Amino acid sequence: MKPRSASRLLPLASSYAVLLVCTAVFFLPIAFMIVASLKPDELVLREAGTWRALFPGGASLQNYRDVFDRVNFGRFFVNSVFITGCIVLGGLVVNSMAAYAFARMQWRGRTLCFGFVLALLILPFEAIAVPLFYQMIEFGWRNSYQVQIVPFIANAFSIYLFYSFFLTIPKEMEEAAAMDGAGALRTFFTLIVPLAKPAFATVAILTFLMHWGNYLWPLMVVDHETYRPLPVAIAEFQTLPPIQWGDIMAFGVMMILPVLVVFLVFQKGFVKGVASSGIKG
Amino acid sequence: MKAFGLEVGLRKIVVGLRLFPWPLAGLPLFLSGCGQPEPAAYDDEGREMVYIWVHSGQAPERETIRGQVEEFNEMQDAIRVDMTIVPEGDYNARVQAAALSGDLPDLLEFDGPFLYNYVWQEHLIPIDDLLSEDVRRDLLPSIIEQGTYDGELYSVGVFDSGLGLYADRRRLEAVGARVPGGIEEAWTVEEFEEILAALFDEAGGRPVLDLKVNYTGEWYCYAFSPILQSAGADLIDRDTYLRADGVLNGPDAVRAMTQLQSWFENGYVHPNIDDAAFVERAAALSWSGHWDYTRYSEALGEDLLLLPLPDFGEGSRTGQGSWNWGITRRAHHPEAAMRFLEFLLEPDEVLRMTDANGAVPARRAAIDRSGLFGDEGPLRLFVEQLEISAVPRPRTPAYPVITSVFESGFQDIRDGADVGAVLDRMVRVIEEDIEDNQGYRRR
Amino acid sequence: MSAEETKRGGVRQTLARLLGSGSFDAVFLAGPALFGLLLFVAVPFAIAIILSFTNLRMGSPLETQFAGWEQYRRVLGDEAFRRALFNNALFALVVVPVQTALALGLALLLNQQLRGRILFRTLFFMPVVFPMALVAIVWKLLLAPGPDGLMNSMLQLVTFGAWAPRDFLRDPLLALPAIMVMSIWQGAGFQMVIMLAGRQGVPETLYEAAAVEGAGPWRQFLHVTLPQMRNTIFFVVIVTTILAFRLFDQVDILTQGGPQLATTTVMFEAVRTSFAEARVARAAAMTVIFFVIVVGLAVVQRKLLREEREIL
Repeated sequence: MKPRSASRLLPLASSYAVLLVCTAVFFLPIAFMIVASLKPDELVLREAGTWRALFPGGASLQNYRDVFDRVNFGRFFVNSVFITGCIVLGGLVVNSMAAYAFARMQWRGRTLCFGFVLALLILPFEAIAVPLFYQMIEFGWRNSYQVQIVPFIANAFSIYLFYSFFLTIPKEMEEAAAMDGAGALRTFFTLIVPLAKPAFATVAILTFLMHWGNYLWPLMVVDHETYRPLPVAIAEFQTLPPIQWGDIMAFGVMMILPVLVVFLVFQKGFVKGVASSGIKG
Repeated sequence: MKAFGLEVGLRKIVVGLRLFPWPLAGLPLFLSGCGQPEPAAYDDEGREMVYIWVHSGQAPERETIRGQVEEFNEMQDAIRVDMTIVPEGDYNARVQAAALSGDLPDLLEFDGPFLYNYVWQEHLIPIDDLLSEDVRRDLLPSIIEQGTYDGELYSVGVFDSGLGLYADRRRLEAVGARVPGGIEEAWTVEEFEEILAALFDEAGGRPVLDLKVNYTGEWYCYAFSPILQSAGADLIDRDTYLRADGVLNGPDAVRAMTQLQSWFENGYVHPNIDDAAFVERAAALSWSGHWDYTRYSEALGEDLLLLPLPDFGEGSRTGQGSWNWGITRRAHHPEAAMRFLEFLLEPDEVLRMTDANGAVPARRAAIDRSGLFGDEGPLRLFVEQLEISAVPRPRTPAYPVITSVFESGFQDIRDGADVGAVLDRMVRVIEEDIEDNQGYRRR
Repeated sequence: MSAEETKRGGVRQTLARLLGSGSFDAVFLAGPALFGLLLFVAVPFAIAIILSFTNLRMGSPLETQFAGWEQYRRVLGDEAFRRALFNNALFALVVVPVQTALALGLALLLNQQLRGRILFRTLFFMPVVFPMALVAIVWKLLLAPGPDGLMNSMLQLVTFGAWAPRDFLRDPLLALPAIMVMSIWQGAGFQMVIMLAGRQGVPETLYEAAAVEGAGPWRQFLHVTLPQMRNTIFFVVIVTTILAFRLFDQVDILTQGGPQLATTTVMFEAVRTSFAEARVARAAAMTVIFFVIVVGLAVVQRKLLREEREIL
């Protein structure tokens, strides 16, 4: 038995070695950011090329205080949470409803409309950003929350994910409900929605990942701090004189930390959500 | 029976809606509620609202204007000023978008040379009748010149700008460089390059020249078009404002920009990504403006020198013009906007701002009282430059394109592209733009 | 029954007649999403097509005129735009295979019975929750020029001093690769998770059968893993390709398309043209060209997928 265990040990060891190297690569930028955020500003760049980049001599929360002194971080954070939250919640409602109509109901124009949705399936938002920008000017929607929310609620990909899930629900259950006299709407809201919880979780997480980092769009449509989300805020903060890299990294840590915590708590859900996007795609 | 059918339909909807989790049901209402209404012309207490936009600027500058707004709001109870700080990098783009969507403020701060474009686009109103004669007479000629287009005054600034070469005295002494005493004595470009080479060697081959390449936006055209003018070239033909060919890409221009490129190629230029190259004394020379004076003098103290930019053949040239204020067409209360502007133009307030940002006060009354700009003041050079060697940026509605093309052209030259080809391309873009806009004739 | 009710009932009937029975519910359910997609996707596209044939400029007091194909002629003749197309294609050609291979490799490694599997998976996935703007800013510092930069000093360490410090983001040869690396760093975890799920969907009996026939790990990979995971891999490839054409945030924050157009992209050119230069019509033409490319990719994808299985 001995030779066999040795032959199994080697691949195992090399697997671990590769994984550890990858871990170093993946984690290094994050560690660097966290460490830099705890250092005096002038040391961030000076020590970036030394081992001190990852192991600081001391730590202080001064940079974090400075961020709050220099910009309205709380506002940006609330903006991002509110905007992303509305897109996720609104999207769950609107897209699941549409998907149900496509998956289970017979109506004239269904094929045509579904073809339309499928045609938009992989069309990236960027392709219509420029004309949409002028359209929003016409609407008088620049500098608002809704300009950052409403255009993103209806989403072809979300509809498609819900659609695929609804197809897997056995028809018998709905037929039974219909026998009891429930209409399509009641069947959907009372029967299908509770059954489709995993699909809702998947779409929620994907929508969150898709829109939490929105940068291009708010850059174009928002001037005022009042409506500015985090990604644009940090991009502007890193050019706001005086340039202090410690403060910038502290801003970064604060903008990502709550998300990392949520991710670590619900990481199973995140991973499952992302994984199922591929299976159905 | 029809009515019954409708009722059932409605009931279904109601049942459906009731089954929504609460926040979801509330969402549409919430969304319709958070639309942005037209900004109010009066606040709750009936005071006239004046919305203003200011550029983000350096920290002390930002704090000063913030303080001035607060003070103004407290010292009287007829007007309330509401300030929005807008990042400098894409300021003009934001003004353009806001103009289209009707989001322009009442009183708009903008960089001087954009005025002609904004007037052409009909965003601004003339202020000849609003500005009091006493203030007007006391303003520097360069300020009036900058704010005038087609014979009417559209904007005034609280300060004018100064652009020069800050130097670290000890480093110059270490290489035995001559210290120019005034504009006439500016280093020739050959002398400048010898000094750069000496400083570079003395620093062990590390970059010694800070050209503020960390900046984006207006900086490049403002700071480096004086090189062209000093070499006998320019951005555009100033008689017609229709032609750039032969002016921006002539042999003088190519020679000057090639010299600039060689500074990068030789490794003299500091990347300055934390904007601290000069204050940390890595760079010995910093090509910068009045706004860095406070920071630099704190860091270098007695070692700080302010010198004119090098002479590329026709004498040292420098930039002028700066942020100034205009009243937009959509202002609810132009008189109120002017009252705030005249408050900013009071000599005390002018000095308060220029003490914070090191700029040249726009009023003679303020210059006379300033310790920085008086005869013996450390920034006296900036006043002299405005009288002798400063060149205004082209007074044409095509300016936004000129500056945008200059910035990208500068980047290409910095990165080693063929200078002649880059300048030719810049000429093409500028002339195409003028042609597309039918020569920017006014209606 | 009031006249009002009659009228509404009539509307309902008309709808029912038009769309078939049960249509009221269907319209209620599908309406909002269809309306949203129409208003915020289809209409803007129509606007883009119309604008692209004019000479419209934002804020110009001049009258807008019909310009025919002039904008398309100019855009396609524009060196910057052609370079942008090239950069997008190059980005896709490098990032897609590298990121897919990396994600697949990590997924296969993590599919083994290893201690700390979950921990590794968590770590690799972590960058995915980072907004690209933050990634760009952190990497800007990592890629700082001169020997002070972390990347420069690490490369020096690894090459025993042979590496001369470079200014990655200002170097025409290194700027785009630098952006590629950070994009892979951010995106690989996402693809890895999809791959992992795909791998777990492969029946173990296939591997057992292959082992019985004497196939080693490599042959098992070639003859079982790859064919079985074909769809998953395909999905990842398509998604990454389309992501490659969306490249914007990193470019805007780090390089502004430079040095010498080495990192400019179609989206960056379109946004700069419309936003900073106010040339609406020209930007609209770029948008339409972008559209055509993406739709082309979509059509290819649908064709290839169709052969393999029924998705609809």
